Formats: sequence, C-alpha cells, structure tokens
Amino acid sequence: MSRKAIMSALGLLIVASMVLAACGGGAPPTEAPPPAETEATAPAQTEAPVAFEPKVLDAGGCDYGGFFKEIAALDERTVQFTLCKSDAAFLSKLAFSVFSIYPSEWLEANAGSTEALEHPIGTGPYMVDEWVRGESLVFKRYDDYWGQKAVTDTLVFRWSTEGAARLTELRAGTVDGIDNPSPDDFDVVRNDPDLQLLIRPALNILYIAMTNTFEPFGDVRVRKAIALGIDRKRIVDNFYPPGSEVASHFTPCQIPNGCVGDPWYDFDPQAARELLADAGFPDGFETTIYYRDVFRSYLPEPGRVAEELQAQLRENLNIKANIVVMESGEFIAESTAGNLDGIYLLGWGADYPHVTNFLDFHFGKANPQFGDPFPEIYEPLQAAAQIADPDEAAPLYEQANNAIRELVPMVPVVHGASAVAYRADVTGAQASPLGNEYFAVMDPGGRSTFVWMQNAEPISLFCADETDGESLRACEQVTEALYAYEVGGTAVQPALAEVCEPNEDLSVWTCTLREGVKFHDGSTLDANDVVTTFTMGLDAASPLHIGNTGAFEYYSYLWGLINAE
Amino acid sequence: MTTADTFQPVLESLDAEAITTPSESLWRATLRRLLRRSSAVVGLIILGTLLLMAIFAPLIAPYDPEQVLIGIEDVRRREKPCIHLLGCPEDRPQHIMGLDGNVRDLFSRVIYGSRFSLFIGFATVGFAIVVGTFLGATAGFFGGWIDNVIMRIMDVLLAFPALLLAIAIVAVLGPGLINALLAIGIVSIPSYARVMRASVLTVKEQDFIAAERALGASTLRILISNVMPNALTPLVVQGTLGFATAILDAAALSFLGLGAQPPTPEWGSMLGTERNQIFTSPHLVFFPGLMITLTVLGFNLLGDGLRDALDPRLARRSG
Repeated sequence: MSRKAIMSALGLLIVASMVLAACGGGAPPTEAPPPAETEATAPAQTEAPVAFEPKVLDAGGCDYGGFFKEIAALDERTVQFTLCKSDAAFLSKLAFSVFSIYPSEWLEANAGSTEALEHPIGTGPYMVDEWVRGESLVFKRYDDYWGQKAVTDTLVFRWSTEGAARLTELRAGTVDGIDNPSPDDFDVVRNDPDLQLLIRPALNILYIAMTNTFEPFGDVRVRKAIALGIDRKRIVDNFYPPGSEVASHFTPCQIPNGCVGDPWYDFDPQAARELLADAGFPDGFETTIYYRDVFRSYLPEPGRVAEELQAQLRENLNIKANIVVMESGEFIAESTAGNLDGIYLLGWGADYPHVTNFLDFHFGKANPQFGDPFPEIYEPLQAAAQIADPDEAAPLYEQANNAIRELVPMVPVVHGASAVAYRADVTGAQASPLGNEYFAVMDPGGRSTFVWMQNAEPISLFCADETDGESLRACEQVTEALYAYEVGGTAVQPALAEVCEPNEDLSVWTCTLREGVKFHDGSTLDANDVVTTFTMGLDAASPLHIGNTGAFEYYSYLWGLINAE
Repeated sequence: MTTADTFQPVLESLDAEAITTPSESLWRATLRRLLRRSSAVVGLIILGTLLLMAIFAPLIAPYDPEQVLIGIEDVRRREKPCIHLLGCPEDRPQHIMGLDGNVRDLFSRVIYGSRFSLFIGFATVGFAIVVGTFLGATAGFFGGWIDNVIMRIMDVLLAFPALLLAIAIVAVLGPGLINALLAIGIVSIPSYARVMRASVLTVKEQDFIAAERALGASTLRILISNVMPNALTPLVVQGTLGFATAILDAAALSFLGLGAQPPTPEWGSMLGTERNQIFTSPHLVFFPGLMITLTVLGFNLLGDGLRDALDPRLARRSG
C-alpha cells in the first residue's frame, strides 16, 4: 500500500516537474505531457487573465483497437487530435452532428439528466424553448449566434407518421414544410401552385445480398447469374419515386470516387440462365428472400419489392424463392452476422459523405455479412483509406469497384430518392441529401414562425447518443460540431473550428477554434469543451458517459470507445 | 329391470322400416324447411356462386393470378379499375377490379382466392370435426376419468382466445398456409368435441342403446351406428358456422403475414399487404374485404337456416 502511494506521488512529482520545465523554458506546450491519469494539470499561464487548464483525453495507446490515441487541448483555441491510423475521411466524420460540442461545465452538471436530453446547450442558430412530448418541439432564435442569424424568431417541429396526414397539414397551411410526402402524392404537390416539391438526392443504396458461405451462393457463377438475371430498371421504374437511379456502383455518384470503375452489368436473362446452367443449376433452385418490413428511402415498399424480386427470379432464372419477413432487430443482427442462408434485401444510407462510409463498412476485412470477405476488394480499400487526396486514391477505388463487379458479393439495385415539400412562398428551402435540413436560412414568406413536420418525434435531443435521423435533424438546429456539411449539400466546411490542419501522414490533426463563439448559456467555447465533449462520448469509464441509452453508437462505430468492457 | 321387459318394445322400434323411413324424410323435410327460409336461400346462392367461381377459376379469370403485367401491358401499379362497359376507353386493357401493388390483375387474384378460402374452410372444419367428434364421443360415451382428461384439455384450449392461440401455434410451426390450417383446426376442435359429447350424453341414456348393448353389440358399433347419427344434427350446424369462423381466422392470420405466403392470392394476405393504401387505392382492400365478408355471411346465413330447419321444436311449429 505505502509503496504504491510513494510511487504515485513520485509519478506526480515527475509529471509536475516536466510540465514546469516545459513552461519555464518559455516554449508553449506543443505536446501534452504523458500523464499518469487521463487528465493532466498544467500551471496557469501568467499572461492569461483567466486560468486555462488544458484537458487531455488519453486513450493510453492504440491497443484498445479504437481510432483516437489522444485528444488534447493545447491552448484555449487549439485542439489536437492524435489518431491511431491515418484517415482521409477524418473531417467528414468530424462534421457529423453527433459529434457536436457541448460546454464542459454544463456537461459536468447535467450528464444523463432529463435536462440534457430535452434542453441541450449548443452554439447553433436556434435554442430549445419548450418540448411538449407527443405534441411539438419549439425553438427560439439565438441572438448571439456567431454566424448568420436565423431568419425566423421561432421554429416549431411537429410530426406525423402518415404521409397523407402530413400533406393534409401542408395544404391546410398549418405547417410550412413536410418531410417525405408519399411517392403517390408527388404529382399532387407538383401540380399545386401553393406548394413546392424538392427531391432529396439519394445518398443511399439498396442491395440484394448473398452470403457466400451458404450454397449455392459460394459459386461466383450463381451470384453473377442473379446479377445478370434481375431487371433492376424494372424495379426502379415501378417501385421507386421519380429521382431514384438504377445503381451503377455500390456508392452513389455524388460521393467523390463513389462510382469510378466499370458500371454494373446490364440485364441479360439469356446469359444469366447459361451461367446458372454452367454452375449446375439448369432448372434453377430453391431459396429464400429475407427482408424487414421497415420503410427506408432506399426501400419504400419492402413487401412489394420482395414480391417483385420473387417474380423476377421465377420468370428469368427459374429460381423458386420463398419470402420471409423478419423482425427488424433480428434481421439486422442475423444479416450482418452472415447467418442468412438465402437472398436478403438491405440498404445503407450515408452517415457522412465519404466513400469509406459505403465501401469500407460493407466490404472490409472484418465484415461477415456477405460470407467470407474478398481480399481482392478489401486490400485496395485499406490502401485507399490512407490517402487524403481523392484523385490519388481514385485508381484504388476503381480497382475495388471492379473487383466488386467481378465477384458479386451483392447486387446493387437503386439509389432511392425521397422528397421534401414546402409551401411555395418559403425561400431558402432545401432537401438535404443527408437529411439535415437547416431551417435558419429558410424564410416562410415573412412569417415569424417556421413550422416543420417530420415523420416522427425525436427520441431525445442529446444527439451524442442518438442515431435516429428524426432526432438528429432537431439537434442540428441547436448544436454544432467543429466542421459542418454545407447547407443542402455534402461538402465539408469549417464550423466551430476555423481550420483543422493534418500533419504529413494524416495522423495528427490540429484544429483552431473560432473566436468569440458563445454557447446558449453564455459561456465561451474553448478547447476544453471539445476535449470534454469527446471524453463524454468516447471514454466509457468517464462519469459523463451516460447519454440517453448509454450506447453512444456512432462514437463507438466511427471511433471506438475507450475503456469499453 | 329385466331384459325381457325392455327387449320387446325396443325390438319393435328397431324395425328397419320404422327407422329408415323417418330418417330419410327427416333430411328431405329439413331441406324443404331450409328452402322456405329466404335468408338461408341467399346463403346458399352466395356459396353456390363461390363454389362455381372456385371450380371454374381458370375459365373466369382473365389473367394468371401470379403474373406480373409489367412490360406486358401499358399499365401502372395500383391502377384503378377499368371496365369498358362503364366508359373506360376501349384502348385500355380491361381490369375489372384494377391492379395490385405488384401490377397483377386483382380480379383474377380475387377469383383464385375463392379456391383458397373454400379449401381452408373444408380442410380446417374437416380436421376439427374428425378429431373433435372422436374426442367428444370417447369422452361422452366412456365417462369417468377419460371424460375428465379429454374435456379438461378442451377447457384449456378454450381458455385461450382462439386467434391468439392460433398465432401462438403458427409461431411455433412457422408461417405458411398449411401450418395456419393446422393451427385453426386445432383451435376449433373443442367446440366440436363439446357438441359431440353433449349429444352422446343425451343419446346414450336412451333405451334403444341399452337394447343394442343387450343384443351384444360392441361399444364401437354402438358408437358409430347408433350414437353418431343421432348427434349429427348439431354437428352439421356447428360445422357450417365453423366454416365462417375458420375462413375469417385464416384471413386474419394471412393478414398478419402468418398464413398464406406471397405470391399466393389469398384474400386475407391481399388485404394485409395493401392495407396502407386504403386511402390512395381503396379498390385494393375493398374487393378482397368484400369477398371475405360475403363468404362469411353466406356460411352464417346457411348455418342459421340449418339450425332452425333441423330444430324439431321449430319444425313442428312451422309444420
């Protein structure tokens, strides 16, 4: 016991003396000292009017398998991210609203409380005024916003699960904009002079997956036969709203390097039947089509598309397929673990607009959802992820896309469009490809309140621990991250950070924070807020790591949690 | 009581003439009484039409019920009904009930659906009657602990809401038309077993049974040739009404996705798959729903009529 106490005292002494030595030399602390604890203390800078004690989140090396080695506040306005591996998509991920910055004092006082879940404090153009659960969510303008202030005094979120009900409200003029009018109503909206319809670009993909560890899908000829024998255009023309595109590649073309390489096969049932006969199935075979009955813009009518696929397999390839509907959670668990023995219908929507979000996730070495991963695909992907310049990485993505086309782990079908409808007098209206409509720039014909109606009520407004798009959209009006996606687009631009500069091999990023940014509670943004926010999300051992459910799924999935069990 | 006392009169009543003539005329009389009831006649007409529809489905239906018409005709998904006689342009292909969500002719699917519904009715009621009659007769005839065991099991089955129990059984067996039939069959066993047992209990105390026994007839023979025919009347009524319940339950299971699997044109599943389109394409839920309603109504009307016609008290009153 006493030896341990002496050792830790000695450790502290060494740390303190090193810090003193560094500061005494007059040089600014470029690197935080290797601390014994996660939070090191530094003496107050003599020039600063208020003492600033830079915080550090130290993962204790990279052995935990995550993404960050260290996140350190260097001074009030500088944060340094040290990564375990270089990442070209770092800024794209950082701009995701889940990683919005909260004030550290507020986090420490409110972590996990109802206050945090319902009245988050951020830096955004709107602040939460009142949330009447089950009814509406009211925001009011934040007058000290650092950027362009919101046009309307008040922003109201309402929700209704029925597309027809949302449209009724819009036509009655009780709301100014609605999400996802039903595809059947697109023409109604278009033909109404009081309304405008904006098609949301499709940053998603529906694919027909086959698990190659189950026969007969182990044979590439069978998989290729299915790729050739399905008339994808017929599916898209008949079951998807206008604006949807037959997928030429797995990744949508709006994403840089998404569709380099040869486009997907054309429909050719004759060649498909020959391939199937070559593989030893001249009379087809029996299989199962699995899907979950959940609406997504990449799969607006799951049951109808499954039946269409069943009919096509029967007509074009003589494959008899039974249809099995699975419960959503079970379906995701079973399909992503590679346990489904037939064909399954699944899709993917972009979390952040980068090709790695599509390809690396699905075709990476660790993903068993299509059976045994193919080195022909994941090796170029691994190499490409190390390269920041999209043009330089293009040949590798081309190689990966061509390998996907050749090996057919799945058949990409469609990038499904959805839409947003507004009243005709709304200016600045957008349909964002990432689903993050930004209401601060919208002017509802001079009215002082903008009313928005979406599919569902937010789950909570503490979006660090949410994954649901309906919640994220609400949070995006209130909180901001270091970077942001351009309004109505996917390009990444600085937000709370003025700039983040990488080092040579993209493994250390130094971000300079914007000056004079104030949170809704009046406190000023500093580097410690950034470190505390990331500590809250990443460090499973932190007392702040409570959130709503405590899962912190995006922190976990994109970065990897520190001190996780 | 001596054997000789009861033997003589019963022997008289066992006279072949005396027994067969009234029983034949009983059925004929029943039919006559049935046809006199207009509600029963309506039921019969509905069911007759349905039966013809099922038998001649390939001749009536203009399309294959599972054929997707994309690329074959210039039609859209969920197109409204187009009937030439009612002013739909002649150059448009005729679809009396419109097209469904997968661009298939709804009329053809509805016609073929009658096959499934009638099959479901026959199969489940047949299964339930055979098993239920056997169990009920055994319980009623032997009494004692056999009766207790069988009827308590039936009570347990009856304690569950029928549809919920059927869903539970399908959940165990896996979704599919045959499993759904089995589930509905199992669920409807108790009602037949009870009817049969009650009949057996009243019949077996009657003198002619004692006489049969005295004549040396085996238990099985007594059950089959004496008890069963006498318990048939309530079974027929119960069975006819049971048809309606079985079809309704099967439609409900299919509606929930547990019964008939796509692309089978079953009315319940047709209703279930398009239920969200009730406001945008009402024809897709209207016609299958109408057919289910008509079928169930037909069996109920016929069942009610049969019950009245077979009831000796009512028969006497109406002559």
